[in-house]
Amino acid sequence: MIKNNKWMLLVLTAVMLTGWFAQGFLSEAPNASAKEKHNKTLVMGTSADYAPYEYIDTAKSNEIIGFDIDLARHIADELGYNLVIKDMDFNGLIPALDSGRVDFVMAGMTPNKERKEKVDFTKVYYSAQQLIVTKDENIKSIEDLKGKKLGVQLGSIQEKEAIKIKKKVKNVKVEKRNKIPDLVQELQTKRIDAAIIEDGVAVEYLNQNSKLKAFVIPDTGSAGSAVALPKGSDLTEKFNSEIDKMKENGELDKYVKKWFKIEKSENEKKDAAAIDFSVVWSSLDFILYGVITTLKFVAVSIVLGFLLGSLLALMKISKTAPLRWFADAYTSIFRGTPLILQLLIIYFATPQLTDYEISAFLAGVLTFGLNSAAYISEIIRAGISAVDKGQREASLALGIPYSSMMRQIILPQALKNILPALMNEFITLTKESAIIAVIGAMDIMRRAQIVGADTYRYFEPLIIAGLIYYVMVMGLTVLGRKLERRMSRGD
Amino acid sequence: MIKIKNLCKQFGKNEVLKDISLNIKQGEVVAIIGPSGSGKSTLLRCVNNLETATSGEVWFKEQEVTGKKADIQKIRTKIGMVFQHFHLFPHMTVLENVTYAPKTVNGISKTEAESSAKELLSKVGLSEKAEEYPGRLSGGQKQRVAIARALAMNPEVMLFDEPTSALDPEMVKEVLDVMKSLAQSGMTMAIVTHEMGFAREVADRVLFLDEGVLVEDASPQAFFTAPKSERAKTFLQKVL
Ligand SMILES: Nc1ncnc2c1ncn2[C@@H]1O[C@H](COP(=O)(O)OP(=O)(O)OP(=O)(O)O)[C@@H](O)[C@H]1O
Ligand SMILES: [Mg+2]
Repeated sequence: MIKNNKWMLLVLTAVMLTGWFAQGFLSEAPNASAKEKHNKTLVMGTSADYAPYEYIDTAKSNEIIGFDIDLARHIADELGYNLVIKDMDFNGLIPALDSGRVDFVMAGMTPNKERKEKVDFTKVYYSAQQLIVTKDENIKSIEDLKGKKLGVQLGSIQEKEAIKIKKKVKNVKVEKRNKIPDLVQELQTKRIDAAIIEDGVAVEYLNQNSKLKAFVIPDTGSAGSAVALPKGSDLTEKFNSEIDKMKENGELDKYVKKWFKIEKSENEKKDAAAIDFSVVWSSLDFILYGVITTLKFVAVSIVLGFLLGSLLALMKISKTAPLRWFADAYTSIFRGTPLILQLLIIYFATPQLTDYEISAFLAGVLTFGLNSAAYISEIIRAGISAVDKGQREASLALGIPYSSMMRQIILPQALKNILPALMNEFITLTKESAIIAVIGAMDIMRRAQIVGADTYRYFEPLIIAGLIYYVMVMGLTVLGRKLERRMSRGD
Repeated sequence: MIKIKNLCKQFGKNEVLKDISLNIKQGEVVAIIGPSGSGKSTLLRCVNNLETATSGEVWFKEQEVTGKKADIQKIRTKIGMVFQHFHLFPHMTVLENVTYAPKTVNGISKTEAESSAKELLSKVGLSEKAEEYPGRLSGGQKQRVAIARALAMNPEVMLFDEPTSALDPEMVKEVLDVMKSLAQSGMTMAIVTHEMGFAREVADRVLFLDEGVLVEDASPQAFFTAPKSERAKTFLQKVL
């Protein structure tokens, strides 16, 4: 009976944990706005790593602030909506709009031909100039870029600018990175020679580092930021008239001054040290909060992966051929495709196919649960077949039913053998969980990136994130050893 | 108690049992002997359907084990089996090993199962090992626990497949003694064994199997002193 109770307890705990966490993330899903002023709500998508348009002052709070945010609040308020802000990766914004996950997007986004094919834009509310930022004294005009490496943000308007330059100047090599902080870091380490960054964004980086120089790219045309809305949305016209109003009554200028003015005087300019933790120290809390998200995420994924994996393992050893085929096909698909691809498909396809707006957290848990189930099922299957055949025969001879035999005789023994492999899988899962940052789940990794964007420091937040992951993995390792010792008491 | 009619068993093309018919009556102790690979284990395992017969019938009392509608699981609870390599559950204590099936299969309460388990353990002389894990027992002790585990289901027949073959010589006796007293208590038993002395002393009948054929079915007296077949004679010359 003792063993029996243990299994019951384990399953019960698993179920309760899942329930508890499920509650946790379901209620967490939309950023419920504190002040429900209006009775209608608009959801805005943005990517909070693009100061001063949208970012988080991580030393102070969790709130996304910036030029776009102020503007969006103003417009939404005027139109009689509450505003809910959803943060995600810049590359995910248009798909999010497409799949109805957000009502509109403001992210310093410039209307271009490709984007216009998918979504509608309002008129431009702010025009930025594009700067060439470089450390190289010899680069003073775009002609000097000959034979140099030029960095741009992937999928940005600057990418188009770079292509234009490439046509004019020979041998320019365009390097694409996901984020502006990545570009600046590449500049620092001289992996690229120059980067195209728009003025409002570049200002802070230039302030932080006197070695960086910048000049304006001539004839950049009408590059500017506009609000993106779904095709045919009747909100587009309303947004347009609000933007006109703000331009006339000077509200817009007020916001431009608030966010884009160059505050620091020349003597305030300081060259940041190569590594300086003091800058990110005040944002440590902000990153540490990610531990909760990551832990929740890992715990739910592990439970899901384990339960599903056990089920699949049983299918793999079952006598019913279709069950075996299913389980084998499942494993082969989930092992044969990249995890990040599975994540993006589940996150973006679910709302399109089912009308259900899956949260980043839920999509992440589902992906990781489903994915690790494939690996865990293989581990368990191997573990089961490594259990002495005699155990099965002895159970059969005693008339023990299949389910009891599996749960109480075979699996406990299999589990003991495969514990190291399982622990390994859990550790991998913990580390790999960092990729949910891509869909904007506020885990340790995403928070570190946001701090990086906010403080214009690259290494330090990542090192802190690395330390946190390491401690978590060590914790799991110790736990695994304890469990192993415990389970081997029978020998 | 057990009726076997024209039983054949093939593994692929390999005919392991060829048209075997025999009866085992209530209270009878039958020793099954024969050279290695002759099909003794297979015959025994066909009785509780651990191996499924290719053709022929196996009956346990009024139920056909080989029948399509047979409730094999139920039948197996009435047929105890003891294996050469014990197959105790290593993650359970001795007491848990003995009580697990009665609790899980028959739904007997923990207290009841434990009190009868303790009785059985004292019968096989292992009362003081109840809380031990199998890993810490000697082979002879393990086999006695395995016997107690099978007996805990109150079986009507006990099948033994070379219960002493994996034991060090000095431990053989303690197991055979337990089996002997079990035989004396009137248990119906079928024992595959290489212990000729034991077969001669304890068995009511001896079955001699060779190459899947039931060559002799005789009293121990007749078989050991005057085997009818050439094959049995050669076999006995080798082992005695
Ligand atoms: N699961 C199986 N699949 C294929 N062939 C098998 C299987 N089990 C037994 N056999 C074959 O059937 C024949 C009889 O095996 P069995 O185990 O019944 O012999 P045995 O008389 O018990 O021998 P031993 O004294 O060595 O235990 C052997 O040739 C063996 O190789
Ligand atoms: Mg055998």
